Amino acid sequence: MTAAVHNGIPNGVASSSKLASYLSDESRFASIDKILDRRGPWTDERFEGGQGSKDFLRNQSKILVIGAGGLGCEILQNLALTGFNDIHVIDMDTIDISNLNRQFLFRESDVGKSKALVAAEFVMNRVPGVKVTPYHGKIQDHPLSFYEQFNIVVAGLDSISARRWINATLVQMAQEDEEQLKPLIDGGTEGFKGQARVILPTVTSCYECSIDMLTPPTAFPICTIANTPRLPEHCIEWASVLEWPKVHKDKKLDTDDPDHIEWLYQQASARAAQFKIEGVTWALTQGVVKNIIPAIASTNAIIAASCCNEALKIATACAPYLNNYMMYVGNDSVYTYTFEHEKRPECPVCGGESLTADAGKDWTLERFIESLTNRQDLQISKPSLSYSKGALFWPSPPDVYKATKSNLDKLLVDLLGDEEGIVVTDPALPVSVNLSINYV
Amino acid sequence: MDDSIDVTHATTGITEIPSYRPDAKTRRYDRQLRLWASAGQRSLESARVLLVGCDATGCQALKNLVLPGISHFTILSPDLTTSQDVATNFFLHPDSVGSPIAEQSVKYLTELNPAVDGSARVEELSSLLVSEPDFITSFTLIIASNIEPSLELQLADLLWDVSNSVGGPDIPLISIRNSGFIGRVEIQLREHSVVDTHPDTTHTLRLDSPFPSLEQHARSLDLFTMDSMEHSHIPWVVLLVRAASIWKESHGGKLPETSEEKAEFKEVLKKDKVKGDEENYEEALAQAYRVWSKSEVPWEIKQLLEDDSVKNVSSSSKNLHILLHTLSQYTATPPHLPPTSPSLPDMHSSTTSYVHLQNLYKKEYQSDLARFKTLLAEVLQEIGLEDGTIPDEEVEGFVKNVGGVGIIKGTPSRERKEGKGLIAQSIADYQYDEYDGSTTCFAMELALLASERFYIAHKRWPGVKAKGDMSEDNREVEEILKGILGKNDLEEVDDIFVECIAEITRGGFGTLPTTAAFLGGIVAQEAIKLVTNQYTPLDNTVIVNLVKSESAKFKL
Repeated sequence: MTAAVHNGIPNGVASSSKLASYLSDESRFASIDKILDRRGPWTDERFEGGQGSKDFLRNQSKILVIGAGGLGCEILQNLALTGFNDIHVIDMDTIDISNLNRQFLFRESDVGKSKALVAAEFVMNRVPGVKVTPYHGKIQDHPLSFYEQFNIVVAGLDSISARRWINATLVQMAQEDEEQLKPLIDGGTEGFKGQARVILPTVTSCYECSIDMLTPPTAFPICTIANTPRLPEHCIEWASVLEWPKVHKDKKLDTDDPDHIEWLYQQASARAAQFKIEGVTWALTQGVVKNIIPAIASTNAIIAASCCNEALKIATACAPYLNNYMMYVGNDSVYTYTFEHEKRPECPVCGGESLTADAGKDWTLERFIESLTNRQDLQISKPSLSYSKGALFWPSPPDVYKATKSNLDKLLVDLLGDEEGIVVTDPALPVSVNLSINYV
Repeated sequence: MDDSIDVTHATTGITEIPSYRPDAKTRRYDRQLRLWASAGQRSLESARVLLVGCDATGCQALKNLVLPGISHFTILSPDLTTSQDVATNFFLHPDSVGSPIAEQSVKYLTELNPAVDGSARVEELSSLLVSEPDFITSFTLIIASNIEPSLELQLADLLWDVSNSVGGPDIPLISIRNSGFIGRVEIQLREHSVVDTHPDTTHTLRLDSPFPSLEQHARSLDLFTMDSMEHSHIPWVVLLVRAASIWKESHGGKLPETSEEKAEFKEVLKKDKVKGDEENYEEALAQAYRVWSKSEVPWEIKQLLEDDSVKNVSSSSKNLHILLHTLSQYTATPPHLPPTSPSLPDMHSSTTSYVHLQNLYKKEYQSDLARFKTLLAEVLQEIGLEDGTIPDEEVEGFVKNVGGVGIIKGTPSRERKEGKGLIAQSIADYQYDEYDGSTTCFAMELALLASERFYIAHKRWPGVKAKGDMSEDNREVEEILKGILGKNDLEEVDDIFVECIAEITRGGFGTLPTTAAFLGGIVAQEAIKLVTNQYTPLDNTVIVNLVKSESAKFKL
């Protein structure tokens, strides 16, 4: 007769006698100890292994996990079993029913609760001896000193801007103090594809160095949305981008609210019928407005395992760690591609050199700004530009906007004169970017 | 929006959900339905999976199958849980120590998804192979996780033999072997049909040989009198069909062939532009190459059509074979191309022009589909099957995406374990290249094979002793590997093999949780592909080297 499992353990309570004997049985680590006690042919010469490695891993290491979702749940499981006994986890989200096909630390009864809190409790119940400290909130809520306490950071985020932030923060820490060099292991997945990378801030390529590798998001031209829809997606964009604000005025669209989705679905369907376009469905409506990315447990398992494998190697030196990027593709057989991504000298975060921006001599400031927003290696949309004499154009705050908006129509050459350097900031940029203008 | 609800609903508190709103199950599975749709989900939900060997890797694989909603799983293992098991397997708890491990893991796995049924058989595989082979062949798919080599081979032989008889089940066997940072996943199956590989596009634009109604429509447009708005919204497909048609008239029915002609074709097209920035013309110029790209039956499909089981069909043939056989006949008559697909990429165009063009392709697809169905009915009659044998949904799915089908033919596990067949050729061709990680991975494969032979001889794995020197075990495995490579006693094995053997014995065939999770992900992914018949599966072996974070696949 099997006991019901609740919050990870039978009956929600662990039997103490079996637990005590288990926790005192050192032989239980037999599998991992084999690779900590014995070197391999590719293990670094300096590796000593044995008690020193085990002690660091199990008793001293402090590891931070960012994200307790699809990758986060897998990462927490793997780190706990590997022997990292002091794990901290940050996540700002609550649990949704659509998480349950892969975020396996959560159950239906957990819907609505904090991911970080529930995940921590589950892992501590299932793997006694591990301490998991949860933080429900944003990574930006914590000061630099918070991050200084960790040996390794493993990120399983679903947001580019969050990745850029933690990357810039760790690079800044390492730049200011060599002792504060925290390896960042970053994983990401989408459907059957994913990647895992190891970033040693200031030493290897950082996240910002590879920002140009991101595929640009699908952007539908506004005239297609407004006037010449052809695809069901165009009808959905029309409903969410144009019609919603028109009808609902200040009421913000909440893509998690099924009633809002219903409204969009009805509006999009009506428009599609009008233009004789087929294919508007609820699933498509939700997919377009929430930019839903397909996700399954197996891909998350692979990428998270890879990340945690790197954490084990970095923490103990028992084998060389990834240098520095592994891509995974699983929709056609099984394929990985491992390579070293190069550091960019002009990376705004970790490089020293400034970026060059080409500009036509007849370009207005507005045209120049457009060229910046199109750049794959910046990924910005609402930049503020300044130079040695002050603000060139700032979209906010309102008084600076008012003072600078007339500059948009002026020629860049006239505004800058002999100056060649511009400083750019943007909500998406984790740091300010120095540009030097090159007139073509 | 009707705000009032009637008394029944008000008192029971259940509001009717409109049928287009997703139910709880659809919401739970939303992120995976976007990959394999409801057809794939239905296949998953009828899958019954057997796991032989209850270790961390096997349980990780099951986790990734229970979460997306297979129908049922059974874990077969006679063992009692040890503390070593608990320390590596998330689907055990210290409380599990001393209890049958299969029962314990079933408990922790079934609670992942209430829709999935799980049971444990606390028995030896060796006895079931003799006393209940039907039990074993009652599953859709079997995973063998780190079970002893001779037992694994017996299981593989059973499944291979059973798939040899007409109408016999063809049950894929996914075998796992791991040691420390090194892992291998192998798949044995006789034959597998892929109904949808999910290619990047399914269009069949065929601008080099447009169907009559398309060419007619393109020629009917009067570019000179239409207003500039309409002009700049003619879809590029139409522009190119028109330009190609006109070109043929003045070039003896031929399309541009030389690079000069191609350049001239583009110049002529450019001249039709009315305004400088007509986006449809920019698109047409960028896509102009399609005019002189010959539309053909895709190469992979041509190969499939040559296959014996496609050329010769009977009443026991698989649906995909019958459909491909019909395709063969379909392409035997002009225009010698697969049926037209109704799908069209987006392009700069007015709504009406685009929808009109879309409808032309849709109509052509419908008439091609009708032609295909007529041929199919004849084929079915010839082989003594009823007219509706293959469901309409399947026929239409095939016709819409002819380029997205595939057939995989497998080899028996026994062949590779004995060093025969494809693996013998790979061994003969082997050349180590330090810049090519796949050559290290192949050396790992041979080292694993040698280790398995070591096990068969000694009833233990090399490197399994906790303390001390592994060099004795290493040397013996090296000797075995020499035999596999066909070297004589006096020759030495290359350094790479010495290194691979050393890394494998270092792991002592113990399971690292991270290796288990990595391999468990791969195994589940492949199992899903095999069960849903979507996406191209691994054929047939992958080696994972987590020291270097590399992998390589081989057909052995």
